[in-house]
Amino acid sequence: MPQPNGSGTNNSSEARQEVNVPMAGRPGGPGGPGFGGRGGQKQKPKNFRATLFRLWGYLSGERKQLAMVFGFILIDSAIMLSGPYLIGVAVNAMVGGQDAVDFNLLHMVLIALVAAYMADASLSFLQGWMMAGISQRIVSRLRRTLFEKLQRLPLVYFDTRRHGELMSRLSNDIDNVSTSVSQTAAQLMSGSIALLGSLIMMIVLSPLLTLASLITVPLVYLLAKTITKRTSALFKNQQAQLGRLNGQIEETITGFQVVKAFNYEETTIADFRKDNDELRKVSTNAQIWSGFMMPLLSVINNVGFAAVAITGGILAVKGMITVGVIASFLSYSRQFVRPMMDLANTYNILQSGIAGAERVFEVLDEQEETEDKPAAIKLSNPKGEVVFENVKFGYRSDVQILKGISFKAEAGSSTALVGPTGAGKTTVINMLSRFYDVTGGRILIDGIDIRDYTRDSLRRAFGIVLQDTYLFSGTVKDNLKYGKPDASDEEIRNAARMAGADGFIRRLPQQYDQPLTENGGNLSQGQRQLLAIARAILAEPSILILDEATSSIDTRTELRIQEAMLQMMEGRTSFIIAHRLSTIQNADTILVIDKGIIAEQGSHDELMEREGIYYGMHRNLTV
Amino acid sequence: MQHMMKYVRKYGLLFTFSVLLVSIEALADLLQPTMMSHIVDEGVAAKQMDKVLHFGGWMLLITLGGALAASGRNIVSSMVSQRFGAELRQDLFEKIQGLSFESVDRYDRASLVTRLTNDVTQVQNFVNGMMRIFVKAPMLCVGGFVMAFRLNPYLSIVLMIVIPIVGLMIVLNMKVGLPLFLKVQNALDRLNGVMREYLSGVRVVKAFNRFDLEVDKFNGINKQYEARSISAQRLMAVFSPGVTLTMNIGIVAVIWLGGIRVNNGHTQVGHIIAFVNYMTQILFSLTTMTMIFNMFVRAKASTGRIIQVLAETNPMTEHASQAPVKELEGKGTIEFDDVTFSYEGPDGEPVLKSISFSCKPGETLAIIGSTGSGKSTLVNLIPRFYDVTGGAIRINGMNIRDLDAHQLRERIAIVPQKSVLFTGPVIDNIRIGKQDAEMDEVVKAARMASAHAFISELPERYNTLIGQGGVNFSGGQKQRISIARALIRKPDILILDDCTSALDSATEASIKRAINDYAKDVTCLLIAQRISSVKDANTIIVMDDGEIVGMGSHDSLLKDCRVYQEIYRSQIGKEVDNHASA
Repeated sequence: MPQPNGSGTNNSSEARQEVNVPMAGRPGGPGGPGFGGRGGQKQKPKNFRATLFRLWGYLSGERKQLAMVFGFILIDSAIMLSGPYLIGVAVNAMVGGQDAVDFNLLHMVLIALVAAYMADASLSFLQGWMMAGISQRIVSRLRRTLFEKLQRLPLVYFDTRRHGELMSRLSNDIDNVSTSVSQTAAQLMSGSIALLGSLIMMIVLSPLLTLASLITVPLVYLLAKTITKRTSALFKNQQAQLGRLNGQIEETITGFQVVKAFNYEETTIADFRKDNDELRKVSTNAQIWSGFMMPLLSVINNVGFAAVAITGGILAVKGMITVGVIASFLSYSRQFVRPMMDLANTYNILQSGIAGAERVFEVLDEQEETEDKPAAIKLSNPKGEVVFENVKFGYRSDVQILKGISFKAEAGSSTALVGPTGAGKTTVINMLSRFYDVTGGRILIDGIDIRDYTRDSLRRAFGIVLQDTYLFSGTVKDNLKYGKPDASDEEIRNAARMAGADGFIRRLPQQYDQPLTENGGNLSQGQRQLLAIARAILAEPSILILDEATSSIDTRTELRIQEAMLQMMEGRTSFIIAHRLSTIQNADTILVIDKGIIAEQGSHDELMEREGIYYGMHRNLTV
Repeated sequence: MQHMMKYVRKYGLLFTFSVLLVSIEALADLLQPTMMSHIVDEGVAAKQMDKVLHFGGWMLLITLGGALAASGRNIVSSMVSQRFGAELRQDLFEKIQGLSFESVDRYDRASLVTRLTNDVTQVQNFVNGMMRIFVKAPMLCVGGFVMAFRLNPYLSIVLMIVIPIVGLMIVLNMKVGLPLFLKVQNALDRLNGVMREYLSGVRVVKAFNRFDLEVDKFNGINKQYEARSISAQRLMAVFSPGVTLTMNIGIVAVIWLGGIRVNNGHTQVGHIIAFVNYMTQILFSLTTMTMIFNMFVRAKASTGRIIQVLAETNPMTEHASQAPVKELEGKGTIEFDDVTFSYEGPDGEPVLKSISFSCKPGETLAIIGSTGSGKSTLVNLIPRFYDVTGGAIRINGMNIRDLDAHQLRERIAIVPQKSVLFTGPVIDNIRIGKQDAEMDEVVKAARMASAHAFISELPERYNTLIGQGGVNFSGGQKQRISIARALIRKPDILILDDCTSALDSATEASIKRAINDYAKDVTCLLIAQRISSVKDANTIIVMDDGEIVGMGSHDSLLKDCRVYQEIYRSQIGKEVDNHASA
């Protein structure tokens, strides 16, 4: 969120800190890994410095700009340091009282002051302008890095996490980082400079008074340490809770229809209330603790101020110091304490940003899909011979889904997979397309283990129509050419025609440019399947996989597109999963999969003759 | 803004209390320069050490009091703002749960998620910020002004010129800022949308290897969000130094005029120091106010988005408090009387045209027809997901529009075409149908849905966790869990929307037998593609392009319905002939 960042004016820094506190207390989201994830991980205290250092790495492209901002701040601080000094001189110029004001000096000082303030305003403006760009570019890069990382994560990562929780990392957590960076980066710089500058000026003015004002240093340090120790844990917890809540929100909104249909609103609302309340408690605590920082710092500030005033008074009484010096010194001591408060407060805000950053880095550190082997080959113009050799697989180590599948599909042949639900048909497809890697045995395409191909070229060889049809928002046309971005309108229309989708697309108000929405209404499930088939046809794959591709399509339409399907399958190795036997009986080979093994294998006629499982399934369909 | 009044009333008292604490805090802040001027003028300048100690002690005491008030205020304001935020979020969530499909369809789903999270947070931040500073800043500003005026009315002329200028700048800032922040929130919607879509469609992305496209899409929106955030943030970079400069010039003017006054003998030097200090304080508070206003602008943009949802009226009168709600009596005889429906309202393209039929308890009505012919739309009208645009649907002779939707849905169980499961254990998903169901009821329902066997084979059986969208279950398994969820409800009306498509025929047959045994008085509506699934139904409706083109038993339809014959041929041609020859 765009935050006022360092305006560089010392005057405004107090105000700035005050605003920061509530911002730091905003709820943001790490939920631990959704379900079945690695527990124990989330409460482990992470290394604050390591995360900070890593975050610093994202500044790499901005170093030059940052250096410039730093330069501006340096100049600005120097200029603003002269402010109290000049005011002190001005006061000294009139300290003579009636008819003894040194107007020459006063006017000169005032002109200098105006110049200083103008310079300060310009420099503050430049700083703010540049920092806005820097901080937003950094988080934008972080978001991009996170999203790109998601592209390389294996499917199992997405299958075991709530989507809303991941969304929360991209939005809420990175937002927290953004807030922190934009608030703290400039403040850290200006704070340190002001601290150093004031210290020097104070020593020059009066070493004794400086000593008096230094009593605040250990107090501030102790306070900051005590508070941030608590807030860092609270912020982490808060982000986690927000993520959890986001996950719940996303899911209920996606499953709106079911919630409505089963009058499940009340339970959903009660669940939400529970998580929402939990978030509230954690956030309140985080906010209260971080909110203590400012009032307590201001007590310390005033203790310092009083110490200086009293010491100054004593010295003035003894005639060791002028009133003007005390006036200047008091200004400097404020300027000294304020950046210290700034720094302490910045450290506090940083906790919230770090809590967000850690959750983002958690994703970035996830194990990616196994990399292509160094000697991986590109699979180009595959013939499409597929061999499964004793393939074993389980999504969890204790449940084996495939218990040794072996078969061979000749190039250009069609293979149908049938069997009871849950037998492992879709899993076979998941193996072939390397959505998941086999845990035993191997799969060969054109005689080479698929793990020896580059993943990219392997997937390009496939055209897959999945059981759960997914279309993206965008127009019909955008969705159709998903597998072939450069397809011409003519090609798109041909593919739609082959898939039997052209007819209904033409009846849509905007035809091929009709935008698709998730919220139903505009396309039926069957029509969505037809689009998915057209999408696969257009991709012109060497190996075609149809997983229940026609389950929601009525049989007349199916019959109509069967010709096209056969045409599409010609010369391509194809795998078909279907429960409608009419869809599969023309296949060259039918594999009957039952309980993770191939129970029967052969052509339709062979299997019918055998009167085994397939025969039984077929009988069931008898009208 | 009347939607926000509720919270004002509820938290007004605590808010006032925190304002009181803030006032003490501000008062303490205000007294400080006076104390300091006393220390300098009466103590240091007069070389009176006891005065220095006296006023120094007072100053510390005042500071302590201020800090106590600030800490108290911190606790109150944190609690109030968090409670307010949580409640607003809760209310918004409940509102969305209560909306009709029609209303929800108007919003992008990702946008609803953003509104529930980020937008609520923005408003909450503002409230919190306001309680902490907003009250304090104007008070410090006004207080500083009053003190300065009392100290030296003549020098206050400077303030009277400077402050209106600053006020003008703040107003301008808000005017320019509001549209910018609205744009930021809209871009965030879209960013969330792309992310959400990627997560839902990750299998398709992987299958077609289109990571480049997804990354491009994301980068485009990410860049837009970045650009919009930068513009909004840069607005501050212009205004904040502007306000500071204006005030600083004021300080210069005060010193200059002060010098003249001192020379004339009208003013003491200590007054000038104190006055400048007040000016600085006013400057602080003004800078703070600029920032708060900036937060306000952002919160205003978000409030608008929240209120937009809160203000949605439910055209369906689901919980018909206006009309006298009728009690639904008896079992579920369904009657469609010349029903017409369009998603776009009365003038839209009709999806259903003049549909009339009826179905009695204990009967099964099957619907068959081509893709996109309106089958799912038809059954979605029964639980009032949408209301008819013409004609009427009656259950037991009562128009369902006169019934409370909640009560109506209590009697209906629907198995949607696309199985939607929630993350959580299997048992919880089945219990959605009947929340207080005992374990044996769950098992019984699962058995009927042929789900018990595979659930029992899972390592944690009924406590096995389902992943987002049910990815760790096969299509057929999801369908069976979703059937069990419906059956456990013991509904009067059971709607099966093509929910056995991923089941093998043996499983389907066994589920059908179980339903027939158990659902003797149930009115059952069944959508299916296979003739074998529908042929035993009491009545079969054949739909084509939103119209009923045939109605009757399997045999009669085979005789005189052309579409049915075609459907029959498309299936029998292959399967039964072959079987007959086998």
